[in-house]
Amino acid sequence: MSVNALFTSTFDTDSETPPAKRRNWGGQAAAIALRGGSFIAFAAILLYFSITAPFFFTIGNIGNVLGQSAILGVLAIGLTVVIIAGGSNVVTGGIDLSVAANMGLSAAVYATVIQLGYGDGLAVLAAISTGALIGAVNAFAVVIVGVVPLLATLAVMNVVAGLELVLTQNTVVPAATDFLSFLSAAGPFGLPVLAYVLLVFTAIATAVVQFTPMGLRLYATGEFPDAARAAGLPVKGLIAGSFLASGFCAGLAGILSVSYLSGSTTGAGDMLLPVVVTALLGTVFSRRLVPTIIGTLLSALLVGFLVNGFQLLNISSTLVNGVQGLLIILVVSATTLLRRQEN
Amino acid sequence: MTAGLASRGANSGRSILDRLVRYALIVAIITVFAAFSAAAPTFLAPANLQSILVNNFTLLAIVAIAMTFAVSAGGIDLSVGTAVDFASFAFVSLVLSGQPVPLALLAGVASGALVGAFNAVLIAGIGISPFLATLGTLFIGRSLQQLLTNGGNPVYLPPAGIPEAFRFIGHGAIFGVPFPLIVVLVVIAASAAVLSKTRFGRVLTAIGIQTSVARYSGIAVPAHVAVTYIVAGAIAAIAGLILTSTVTVYIPSSGNAFLLNAIGATFIGTTLSPLGRPNIPGTVLGVLLLSIVSNGLLLTGLNFYWQQVGTGLLIFVVLSISFVNQRAKRRA
Amino acid sequence: MSQSIPAAGSGFALNIKGAVKHFGGARALSGASLAVRHGTVHGLVGQNGAGKSTLIKVLAGLHRLDQGSIEIDGQQHDTLTPHLAEELGIHFIHQDRLLVPTFTVGEALFLGREPRIPGTPFLDRRAMQRQAAEILDRYFGLRLPNSALIADLSTAEKQIVQITRALLHGPKILVFDEPTAALVRREADILFSLIRRLRDEGITIIYISHYLGEIEALCDEVTILRNGIDVATLAVRDTSAAAIASLMIERDIGEMFPKRKLATGAPVLSVSRLSSPGKYQDVSFHVGQGEIVGVTGLLGSGAKELLRALFGLEAPQSGEIVAGGKPVRFKRPSDAVRDHLALVPEDRRGNGIALDLSVTENTTIASLRRFTHLGFLDRAGERAEVDELIERLQVKTSGRDALLRSLSGGNQQKVAIAKWLSRHSEIYLLDEPTVGVDVGSKVEIYRLIGDLAARGAGVLVLSTDLAELVGITDRILVLFRGRVVKEFVSSETSPDAVLAEATGSLEGRRHVS
Repeated sequence: MSVNALFTSTFDTDSETPPAKRRNWGGQAAAIALRGGSFIAFAAILLYFSITAPFFFTIGNIGNVLGQSAILGVLAIGLTVVIIAGGSNVVTGGIDLSVAANMGLSAAVYATVIQLGYGDGLAVLAAISTGALIGAVNAFAVVIVGVVPLLATLAVMNVVAGLELVLTQNTVVPAATDFLSFLSAAGPFGLPVLAYVLLVFTAIATAVVQFTPMGLRLYATGEFPDAARAAGLPVKGLIAGSFLASGFCAGLAGILSVSYLSGSTTGAGDMLLPVVVTALLGTVFSRRLVPTIIGTLLSALLVGFLVNGFQLLNISSTLVNGVQGLLIILVVSATTLLRRQEN
Repeated sequence: MTAGLASRGANSGRSILDRLVRYALIVAIITVFAAFSAAAPTFLAPANLQSILVNNFTLLAIVAIAMTFAVSAGGIDLSVGTAVDFASFAFVSLVLSGQPVPLALLAGVASGALVGAFNAVLIAGIGISPFLATLGTLFIGRSLQQLLTNGGNPVYLPPAGIPEAFRFIGHGAIFGVPFPLIVVLVVIAASAAVLSKTRFGRVLTAIGIQTSVARYSGIAVPAHVAVTYIVAGAIAAIAGLILTSTVTVYIPSSGNAFLLNAIGATFIGTTLSPLGRPNIPGTVLGVLLLSIVSNGLLLTGLNFYWQQVGTGLLIFVVLSISFVNQRAKRRA
Repeated sequence: MSQSIPAAGSGFALNIKGAVKHFGGARALSGASLAVRHGTVHGLVGQNGAGKSTLIKVLAGLHRLDQGSIEIDGQQHDTLTPHLAEELGIHFIHQDRLLVPTFTVGEALFLGREPRIPGTPFLDRRAMQRQAAEILDRYFGLRLPNSALIADLSTAEKQIVQITRALLHGPKILVFDEPTAALVRREADILFSLIRRLRDEGITIIYISHYLGEIEALCDEVTILRNGIDVATLAVRDTSAAAIASLMIERDIGEMFPKRKLATGAPVLSVSRLSSPGKYQDVSFHVGQGEIVGVTGLLGSGAKELLRALFGLEAPQSGEIVAGGKPVRFKRPSDAVRDHLALVPEDRRGNGIALDLSVTENTTIASLRRFTHLGFLDRAGERAEVDELIERLQVKTSGRDALLRSLSGGNQQKVAIAKWLSRHSEIYLLDEPTVGVDVGSKVEIYRLIGDLAARGAGVLVLSTDLAELVGITDRILVLFRGRVVKEFVSSETSPDAVLAEATGSLEGRRHVS
């Protein structure tokens, strides 16, 4: 049975259909519309909220949004690395469903270490190690055992979520240290420290993924594994590394989460689908319609602003889910129809 | 019958491994059952066994069967929980407003089918990959439910206003067999028959295994895929109806709790089939295993939360075996 | 760009001896040898299934030989890997351009050997762009916008990028696989002068092509493969396209092809002025009841696309198709199948049969309605039908429940045909029906094809095995660059004549400088 088909469209089935050779003008136009349209939509949303919602366009509020988006952003960026290396729309379908649970467990580990009386240094180490370890398990399952990423990370997610429950007994584990307070406090220029963390993290991630040879190879591995292999790239190593990276990011997000919520809380798993959708939507913000770090950041901020705007306007922020779902469908429909037209 | 040489060759060594893997699931169930019987005296009590069947097993089995249809056709349905929820909502709403129970039941199933139809349009009509399409549906479904319930409020049925028929679905029994269990058995039998004995089932299998060949053989692939998702939605709806009847309340987005175990059970079930195909009996056994493990872990006094770890590890191990097996087959 | 290379003519850059390779039941190579001298352009020709691509894949390290030796530059290297092949300086210009579509030209060129900004771990994108533009302009006169992505390039441009990428590695041996198939004349000429220049710089070139005119014009020596073995290696100046052609064709036919009675009836399939711009133009022909019509042409001739259009896999832009007496427009294969057409595709494993379905499931997949009562499958009826077909077609299998994976290529092909027999199809479209099939099964399949016609079906066979085509068909249509250039009566022609038309070698000789 081919689970690989999970990521392929119903119509991508013909091995004799040659791939589209040259993007036709209609396709080009649609691509530009998609990309340009997303930026315009983003701007339009910001504009709308700044007009209708009180306090929207203040430094304080924007800083707020940045800070609130930090956790989602870090997680989504980690997931983006996996999607880049695994291919966002073809057979391998790189994905990591365990990121949210990973974050939850890492947060729980951090809070527990603090509770046990140890310092922040050890706690940070423990949290990051937890995240990376889970990433390593994913890497092992996908690259060595050969389980499809969707199922491997699904199973790992289950186990990790369970472990978190065992550790916390489904309760909140409070944690308050100077370091944590520092993280969730306001920083220079009135922007929360978390906002800076997000920006710095994004800058580093962007530098690595978009500006180093390794980043380029990650893209090659995901987009066209045969070409990557022909170029002598260590495809398996790169894919394994991507899972380690997302695990690491989840660990980091766990620390941020402990700071933001003053402890570890339950319900980390709820973040999973928003993170997945955020990462997938990020592609519309890139010139080549591929997953990028900045694109994901923008996607996370879009969600952040939507939630924030809805809050300020007293609209239920759970509607954001629906907006995301609609967006995903619209975006994927557009790209799928584009591809069908080309073939 | 056969004309000449058999070409078994390297297959015989692997077929032993195959058989081991297949029977491993059944052996696992028996072992686990025995282990828990020994570890927890209350495990074997009829009341407990019944509880396993009705509480853990019933609903998950139905949802997992819905998932099995989608996976059989080479896809996946992340929105099975959404179908469960929409069916629940329609059912409760109609009963609350005084409509006859049969009509409410029909509305429930129709709601689930509607969710499936939405998926069908995305997957078979536009051509979006099943994962992304059903993910989108899941999200939109969540928000819709929030809207319909004014922000996520559960919809309760006041104890006085519960029609007899309604109560029967969740708590009634025929000849001592709980009604939900009867429904499950019917669903299992019907689904197994459809998947393995009908033309539709054969076509689905072909589509799931090699869609291009199905297409090149003149099969109307999009139409069949569309029907599959509608059917999956309708089946999942049945679980919603039973759930609501049992707890007399509809809680928004509660259906999603079934999703992961439904996927797990379906894939555990594929290891049971000699050809590694998704199948109803396998899925049912997978659900049984997961149910026994959850219940047993609970009873042995082991920390409640180890349940999830246990089932997660189980799914992990089974998947690994399945994929290693598949890979070996491909190399041969 | 090249490293120190011995003078042309001295010794062999590549010397493969006695290569044997099996795939399951089929023998792809039966003792083939290939000796390529340093600094020459060496042509490699042969019909489909002669072993060319297998030999090249062995050289690329993708397959291991069952028997035989490989010597590269004097050194034995019997087990090659893609990595080793590259290290030894062997590079391939494949037909599937292995370039990442969303990369810029610079990125695609330097993937794996990316220049860094000195002292930092960062990509030197500016250097990549600059060097790329410089090389492309200097060697090819090609100027592309900096932001151009691979996906935006034409086939010829992509090929140039591919060649450049290979050149950056300092290759010793360059293998070109059907390079002009998708190129226009002007682009092909640029390629040829490039190849000559590379040879003059001392690089050894292996040139695989069906266009014998090109081989004549470009190559120093040529090796002809047939049935997995090399039948001759000649200096091009001592031979001609016609001579090469006749060496390519299987002579030892004998009783391979069944005797045909030419009793044909009314047309079951008529095509008038079918056109699809860029693929085929103004194609008209008909296939009568009980008739076997052959279609042939090289890659780019439009023959393949024509067949796909007849089955509803693509849509022609204009023209008419009449099947079974009524005009039809097929939007998808199910339309064609409903009108009693059948397709046995070239890519058997991808589209013809499902490897992981059983013989039974594969055989009845197109005819399930015959075995359905009230929605349920009549398993007994199905079994009987499958058993009868297995017997009739002599399919060698361990049982009707065996997965197709366990059957040999020839037997898989029989099942692919059996599928349509079960459906009682009336018009058969066969695309390279005996490719990858062992000789024994070939004969059986030819008999089967004759049988189809004898029972009244109309059969269209697309094949580049010309001896086969001449042997089993009543008429042959030759396509060249999208048009029907000639129609032969099979009993009155020979494979050489057909090949001459298909390769346009008469025309080719005029154009290649």
